[in-house]
Amino acid sequence: MDCLPVTVPVTILGGYLGAGKTTLLNRLLADVQGVRLTVLVNDFGEVNIDASLIANRDGETISLANGCVCCSIGDNLGLTLYDLAERPDGPEHILIEASGVADPARIAGYAGCHPRLCLDGIVVLADAETVQARAGDRYVGDVVRQQLAAADLIVLSRTDLLDASATRSVRDWIEAEMPGARVQEASAMSRLAQLLLAGGGGTMDMPSSSSSSSSSGKHDSLFAAWRLASALPLDGAALRRALAALPPAVLRAKGIVSLAEAPGRRFVLQLVGRRWSLEPEVRSDGSALAGPSEVVAIGLAGQLDMDQLEALFAPTLPAGLPRAVAVLLRQEDRA
Amino acid sequence: MAGPITVFSARKIITMDAAIEEATHVAVRDGIVIELGDLDDCAAWGPYTLDDRFGSGVLMPGLIESHAHLLDGLLWAKAEYVGPVDRHDPSGKLRSGINTVPGLVQRLKELEAGLKDPSQPLVGWGVDPSLNDPIAPITRHDLDQVSSTRPIFLLHASCHIAYVNSATLTLANYAAVKAPGVTRDSSGEPTGELLELAAMMAAIKATAADMIGGSTDAAQFYNFAKVAQARGATTIVDGGGSTYFDPAFLKAALVATGAPDFPARIVAHHNGITVPTAEEMIRFAASLEGKGNDKLIFQGIKILLDGSNQGFTGRLRPPGYLASGANGLWNRGPEELKTLVPALHNAGLQVVAHCNADQAAELFIEAVATAQAKNPRFDHRHFIVHGQLLDESLMRRMAALGIHVTLFSNHLYYWGEFHRAHTFGAFRAGAMNPASTALRLGLVAAAHSDTPVSPVDPLLTLWCAANRVTAAGRVLGPRERVSAHDALRMMTFNAAYLLHRDHEIGSIRVGKRADFAVLAEDPLAIDPMGLRDIEVQGTIVGGRVFGAGA
Repeated sequence: MDCLPVTVPVTILGGYLGAGKTTLLNRLLADVQGVRLTVLVNDFGEVNIDASLIANRDGETISLANGCVCCSIGDNLGLTLYDLAERPDGPEHILIEASGVADPARIAGYAGCHPRLCLDGIVVLADAETVQARAGDRYVGDVVRQQLAAADLIVLSRTDLLDASATRSVRDWIEAEMPGARVQEASAMSRLAQLLLAGGGGTMDMPSSSSSSSSSGKHDSLFAAWRLASALPLDGAALRRALAALPPAVLRAKGIVSLAEAPGRRFVLQLVGRRWSLEPEVRSDGSALAGPSEVVAIGLAGQLDMDQLEALFAPTLPAGLPRAVAVLLRQEDRA
Repeated sequence: MAGPITVFSARKIITMDAAIEEATHVAVRDGIVIELGDLDDCAAWGPYTLDDRFGSGVLMPGLIESHAHLLDGLLWAKAEYVGPVDRHDPSGKLRSGINTVPGLVQRLKELEAGLKDPSQPLVGWGVDPSLNDPIAPITRHDLDQVSSTRPIFLLHASCHIAYVNSATLTLANYAAVKAPGVTRDSSGEPTGELLELAAMMAAIKATAADMIGGSTDAAQFYNFAKVAQARGATTIVDGGGSTYFDPAFLKAALVATGAPDFPARIVAHHNGITVPTAEEMIRFAASLEGKGNDKLIFQGIKILLDGSNQGFTGRLRPPGYLASGANGLWNRGPEELKTLVPALHNAGLQVVAHCNADQAAELFIEAVATAQAKNPRFDHRHFIVHGQLLDESLMRRMAALGIHVTLFSNHLYYWGEFHRAHTFGAFRAGAMNPASTALRLGLVAAAHSDTPVSPVDPLLTLWCAANRVTAAGRVLGPRERVSAHDALRMMTFNAAYLLHRDHEIGSIRVGKRADFAVLAEDPLAIDPMGLRDIEVQGTIVGGRVFGAGA
């Protein structure tokens, strides 16, 4: 690979105490493949990884055979994160576990503490059984609401303990309290974990990865993907309008695009829940590349409305472009 | 074999002891008071050396700073003080506050001219534009007037904000730093103001890397003790963030405090702040048992419940912060605190709880009530640090449970107007730090500076408790003022009690340690408004004399 990632995406995992963050992290560390992930955790003692996966254990750091690392935040998140970003052999993606009472939006501020780092998204876990009661608690009600409000994506945990109507009612409550919230159920934690990291490294080398469905590796049948590809530059204003109007079923999108308004270079698109960014591509050698455009949107199978997405993105394609040139790929991923 | 006897004479000795309140001579042997009265009373113990250098001064028990942070000593060691508030430096010299931006630029130019190596960063601390007159932001354009090539980094008094010049922005590559706390102007350029650590990190690393991440520099201990000593303190608390459980840090602390010329006693709380779990807190605390020396004592474990009121992060009961109704931040989750406090209580530790606002205090009181119901302990002396919005009902529950308090009385002066206008409003600003009610209800109450948050100066702190005057001259809640005698007691005997040291220090009494402050005036005889201006002539620690600014 001629282009080392110069940007390291940072994901914040928030949620009140007991919402299932540690469970999710333990699975994530064991399952993730293809991305050198470092997870920063609050309570190192709670981390519980199968001993057979551990390559090395050194004080407050566990290194796994799959290249992932788990380490304690320690007493200074800023310092820990900064030093991590300085390492030449550092991670390709960082996930920070926010403490159970932290405002994840505040923690997200740290994702910009080093020039190499950028915020990927804020994912907040909510315990479907207790979130409503907690939101009314006199000591923590405001904290729980603040966490939900900060989320780009809210993931309901423990829905397996509730019947469908109870789950529906919690979802309705969140959607009423937090207009515009993106809510998903964590019925399959390990798959969710993959989704969190679907952005992969900071740059995407589209030409070499265009044959696979996405750079994050395979998605199984839980997820569906919709893809837009164009050999010609897209209309930037129309693309931004489409991104702002995406339906809640889109959990994650990514892409690398050329825009008609800025020829000669590409832009990187990242989306987690309702947060998205479209930034000029940064290459380690400082060069700029032009090239074809590709956008992939990912959501749960059965929820992603392909026709709706196609209609939404149609205006981004160059006006009057023959259908034959604007290659629209439509594809459902299989395991 | 008993050592020689020294008799100190004074115009007046204020003992703060219930039995005998005044004397003129005190006899000291082996660091302990052996007699108190007139010269004849002292002579009854046999041959002595009379030390009358303070014969015209007033001797009182050494003042006790019941809540401070070692960081103060590190800042004096690593950075130049350039804040708007008058502050005594480790040599006892008063550094006058600089409260205009042009004045700040001028001072920085002088400091810059004294630096030889052109790449050496100029690092300052203590700035606070909200206390400037007029209130004006500090920008990189101001600091660029000082130097366009030498990196400049100024730390705000709160330690939550920094100001840098263009050279620092370039050096630390702020063009690529995306933290939202990097304040930008309308054209998207950084203004030089960096809010919160996330935004400050790259600049700190580039200019002042040795100020972060644990220093074992001996100067931090000396400076910490000296600044307090210069204002009459013989004991100062290091309030819980330091890592004495780290062998390298402990060794540095023991070497510094073990030197005969170390000018004050440090009472260090165990670290319940950066240590994550109760098990580790208890283990680290146990590992330090018996590890101190004469001037380094480990006592109590400090935990944080909420943030700071001036930072809008204290946890308030309704109606929350003025106008917005917003609430602050929990440092640990309430459920966690409800198990952490009993765990520490059951381990036999004294819990020292940072509760800045009233909801945090309420939660702590409830957690102690739970702990006491299950496992009653007498004389645990758990206490609240800050307790700025305690009211009578909370304090009655504290009295019933045996919880005491050290109040943040300095806030009345430094932030009184700010709280009235921006955080609490008129009523709650007038009710802040209610020392009189605390004492009336039988709480053992002390007061503190929380340095570096506000300057360590025990005479200023007791002046605040006695007068409750804001920087603008307004008296906040006159009914909560205490007498000069009570204020002195808060800063001596009461503080000693909170630190489990009242059998050794806090009053002048036969059998206690010879720790004294020597004042030029009698604090009980002057207008209480003059308390803060009393000259300190020196201190005596364990019978050893330390001149002012020693």
